[in-house]
Amino acid sequence: MNSRPFVLLTVCLFVLTIALSLYVWQLRRTASDVSPVLNPPRAVAPPGTGPAKPATLWVAHDKPGALRTISISLPLSSERQRRAAELLRALLNIYSAKDSPHPLPSTSEIHSVYYVDPGLVVIDVNSALAYGQTSGVLAEELTIASFVQTLSANQSGILRVKILVDGKERSTLAGHADLSGIYDVAQVSSLARQLSSQ
Amino acid sequence: MRWNSSASPQARFVLTCSVIWVGSLLAFNQSPAHPTLSPAPSNSTPTPQPVLVVIDPAHGGSDPGALLTPESPEKEITLAVARRLRQELSARGITSQLVRDGDATVSLDQRAAIANSAYPLLYVAIHASSLGSGLRVFSAMMPAAGDNRGPFLNWDAAQGPFLERSKAAQQQLVTAIQKTRFPVRALMAPLRPLNNLKVSALAIEISPTTGDASQVGATGYQQMICSTLANAIASLVPLSTAKTGTQP
Repeated sequence: MNSRPFVLLTVCLFVLTIALSLYVWQLRRTASDVSPVLNPPRAVAPPGTGPAKPATLWVAHDKPGALRTISISLPLSSERQRRAAELLRALLNIYSAKDSPHPLPSTSEIHSVYYVDPGLVVIDVNSALAYGQTSGVLAEELTIASFVQTLSANQSGILRVKILVDGKERSTLAGHADLSGIYDVAQVSSLARQLSSQ
Repeated sequence: MRWNSSASPQARFVLTCSVIWVGSLLAFNQSPAHPTLSPAPSNSTPTPQPVLVVIDPAHGGSDPGALLTPESPEKEITLAVARRLRQELSARGITSQLVRDGDATVSLDQRAAIANSAYPLLYVAIHASSLGSGLRVFSAMMPAAGDNRGPFLNWDAAQGPFLERSKAAQQQLVTAIQKTRFPVRALMAPLRPLNNLKVSALAIEISPTTGDASQVGATGYQQMICSTLANAIASLVPLSTAKTGTQP
């Protein structure tokens, strides 16, 4: 058997292997450069810009299935949309803490709060909040009542609240509480009274 | 216009038909908008009709509901409880109908349509949760939707005219369950399809009393809850039939 073609083939394969290795190395380097864009770090809510002001938070407690109010002092913006988002983020800080009374994932985020119409407020939350929410009628309505009551307790003139997830309408929060409609603040206040009486 | 006795038979026929048609239209407009909900009074003794309860095991098919334990999705627990409740009601002479009697995907609108077309005494949705303790009985929390427009019912607010009746049933159920000393709460909930129903409508969420979610899947616990619920629902029947006569 003539060994020359065999040697030639071996050399060719060796060169091809080196070339492919370099190509894969290059691809991996490019991928590592891109990954921070694909997986951006969690948006950190900016701290409140204004002076500390007293605020009332309606906090959900899973254990008795109840809402309780707490009074705290928070640095709050003077601009009402930002202030509303800051109030809800203060709630999320409680819910994502280690000994949370109503656990939500630490990746839960309030994207924005909009005043669309006189009396109508739109809360845009991220999908991590919806997916990390404990599924159940009581568990989900505790979250919603907590958000709506906290806003209406600290900002006057809110009559209706719409909740979006990642900027889109969603049928339910986590399989139960309806998100397709608009919440009537008076109705939520009645619910909050029922939930507080436990 | 004067009646012309010399008018042709065809013209008289057309005129007579027109008078009958206008008369029947006027008579129809004086009848109730929803004759099936408010049956016209009759001198004859109404024929008693069986009381019907529509039981809706929540979730099913592609919607598993909450995962109470790794081997117990909510959809299986709600179906098991619904079947037991049907048996318990049947033992008390109450007819019931399940919205789903298998692992089928049924949309919320379909559930509402099934219940609305059955005209039951009561619609009961069954849910299960690991949170809290005992039973929770929910009535609808109405959304900030528009009102009904003329003859058209607003789908999202269809429960509106029936909400008081639902809340009365809720209170009666809770009172009956409290007598057994089983933990129970009455709440409202933004839970579809309650607000789409034009009958008395409630949802019941079952949760463990021990803090262990697996209790909800236990046969003995489900049986005890269904027996309690059936007794409570049976307590609604004489009062409602006495009040409203036969339910449509």
